[in-house]
Amino acid sequence: MRAEHGGGMTSARPVILGEMPSLSKLYVNAAAQAARRRLLGTHDGTALPGESHEVRGVAVDVATLTAYQHLIGETASDVLPAGFIHALAFPLAMSVMNRDDFPLPLLGMIHLRNSVEQRIPVFFTDALDITARVENLRGHRAGTQVDVIAEVRRAGTAEICWLGISTYLAKGVFLPGIDKPSPAPDRAEFKVPDPTALWHLGVDTGRAYAAVSGDFNPIHLSVLSAKALGMRRSIAHGMYLASRALADVGPSRGDSFAWEVDFDAPVFLPCRVALEITTVEGSAGAWCRSDFVAWNPRSGRRHFHGSVSAL
Amino acid sequence: MSIDGQSTAGPEEAGSLTAGIPGLRRAVIVGGNRIPFARAGGAYAKSANLDMLTAALDGLIARFGLQDERIGEVAAGAVLKHSRDFNLTREAVLGSALSAETPAYDLQQACATGLETVVGLANKIKLGQIDSAVAGGVDSASDAPVVVSEGLREVILDLSRAKTLPQRLQILSRLRPKDLAPLAPGTAEPRTGLSMGEHQALTTAQWKISREAQDELAYNSHRNLAAAYDSGFFDDLLTPYRGLSRDGNLRADTSLEKLATLKPVFGKNLGADATMTAGNSTPLTDGASTVLLASEAWADAHDLPKLAAVVDAEAAAVDFVHGKDGLLMAPVFAVPRLLARQGLTLADIDFFEIHEAFAATVLSTLAAWEDEEFCRTRLGLEGAFGSVDRSRLNVNGSSLAAGHPFAATGGRIVASLAKQLHAKGSATGRPARGLVSVCAAGGQGVVAILESL
Repeated sequence: MRAEHGGGMTSARPVILGEMPSLSKLYVNAAAQAARRRLLGTHDGTALPGESHEVRGVAVDVATLTAYQHLIGETASDVLPAGFIHALAFPLAMSVMNRDDFPLPLLGMIHLRNSVEQRIPVFFTDALDITARVENLRGHRAGTQVDVIAEVRRAGTAEICWLGISTYLAKGVFLPGIDKPSPAPDRAEFKVPDPTALWHLGVDTGRAYAAVSGDFNPIHLSVLSAKALGMRRSIAHGMYLASRALADVGPSRGDSFAWEVDFDAPVFLPCRVALEITTVEGSAGAWCRSDFVAWNPRSGRRHFHGSVSAL
Repeated sequence: MSIDGQSTAGPEEAGSLTAGIPGLRRAVIVGGNRIPFARAGGAYAKSANLDMLTAALDGLIARFGLQDERIGEVAAGAVLKHSRDFNLTREAVLGSALSAETPAYDLQQACATGLETVVGLANKIKLGQIDSAVAGGVDSASDAPVVVSEGLREVILDLSRAKTLPQRLQILSRLRPKDLAPLAPGTAEPRTGLSMGEHQALTTAQWKISREAQDELAYNSHRNLAAAYDSGFFDDLLTPYRGLSRDGNLRADTSLEKLATLKPVFGKNLGADATMTAGNSTPLTDGASTVLLASEAWADAHDLPKLAAVVDAEAAAVDFVHGKDGLLMAPVFAVPRLLARQGLTLADIDFFEIHEAFAATVLSTLAAWEDEEFCRTRLGLEGAFGSVDRSRLNVNGSSLAAGHPFAATGGRIVASLAKQLHAKGSATGRPARGLVSVCAAGGQGVVAILESL
């Protein structure tokens, strides 16, 4: 994965946007696009847009940063949490998937996995150049999946500080010419371990994360707005859960690390989430990696799992 | 024997540990006083921490004739503390019969608060900085602080900084109905969200501590405490308060059968065998305790008893956050280090006071010390640390029966143990040694050795 995306040089043609796109407008556009496609038939392209979207000189609002850090359990330091940078880049990711030539319906896409390399710490005083593009359209046993690649650099510099790869699934969408992979081999049944932490997530968890991340997707906001989109209740943002797990790993992760998470089952609110963090040490007792897994303590169903490892 | 690479020094001279490090003088325990502990919502439901600490302090003053005395220093603390009580101990001194010229400070180390005040003040006496001191602690689970929501708190703070009416109105408009709901203090560890009971439930399962063993320890705690009351042991350790003259939690008539009927309360959702009940866990409690410490010269000059000396102490902490060790297991590490420094083994201890946060905490501690593999790999010992003679353990009852007003527990234990050691030492004509072990939130623990005089 790293070799594939990590070069920093791609053939994508940059489209420079004057400012960060508005997420709420993107959600409205996505709804309109969904309605249009329903009326006029599905988009029949199978190629991904070759353009990357870019915004230069993005500034961070320190009050939002502090609120974000407090919400997910990070100490309010001057370094941006890796999940906060994901939230910063998210409108650009959405805008690429909102293009008319993007072949999958944006609304209802499911975040399957997320992979981040925090290579160089970013401070809230740094102005940032952020780009996003889509790659690697491919089949999934339940539909079609695609990667959104986001890169963050200090303004005017070439070196990538933060690289994020978010994999989304358009469930039930099968595009011509893209083979459905053979069904995944049966995964070993998840055996519930002893928890090292227990999260008590209130019904307002989604609203609270929306306020600090800017992601006001209705499926996270309230029972009513979630039901309008066909969910039985509102669900927690995946990146809220993953960012809390990253915070729980704690200071042993250092300044640069890789952070991976696979989302298994949505977290319906309110609820309790049990978490286990396992530390993997090297021969000299130095920290190598922390693995995390989270599950519903009542049903034993796994919600997500992943790791934070030294880069 | 070497623990964590520390070299160990033997005792100063055979028989007594308290002959003293050259240049240091002894810190002696003169006596103690506490109020009976009450179950939360019981006899002390409306009493504040300041009321209870002052009551315990005034009883101590009356017992030892300290009216108008300028004490070297008073240190106490509370775990659940109102922000208005920022100078709780000094306020208690001002409200007591002590000289108003007695300085005081607050200390907070979760459940180890009380023992740490004893250790810190004893060290000042040993160094010659003060000649007398009162250590103590208080807690009220009934009169606990209630906190306003973050939303309301931010609005109030921003309002106080606003300069104009439009600014104030704009700030007020941020208030939402949910911001008005108050928050009660929780018992969850901040970094894990697991309550102390849930943390212990994991440790209990890890060390395979049975329900029967826990109930038996709880039963002995009640039986021993009741016997101590019946024999008059607490007559000079306690001042009645608000109609209580015995600890409200004491069930002298409890039985193993009754304890066996209780349903588990901790560990039900953790995938572990649930064995911890309200009977073998400490209840939320209100109460206060104090201990009078002095140099030998000061005690002699005031014609006061010298029960025991504070010999040495050790603090430890464990990395519990990701489950490397159990939350309440720090004393498991502290005690071997302390005994090694004093050239002692478990067999040299006449009385063990291991705070009963939960029956399973005591039993997990004992199990760890008997586990060869654990002692070798984690404590750096050559084999198992050893077994604690159960007939020497918590002989006058402990927190399961008396209750556990967090910061007051250390003072309760130190005063009772000093008296017990003095009686044993006087009867046998040789110094009697006692070990105090208190676990605390945050994966911490403080342990100390006392020796009779």
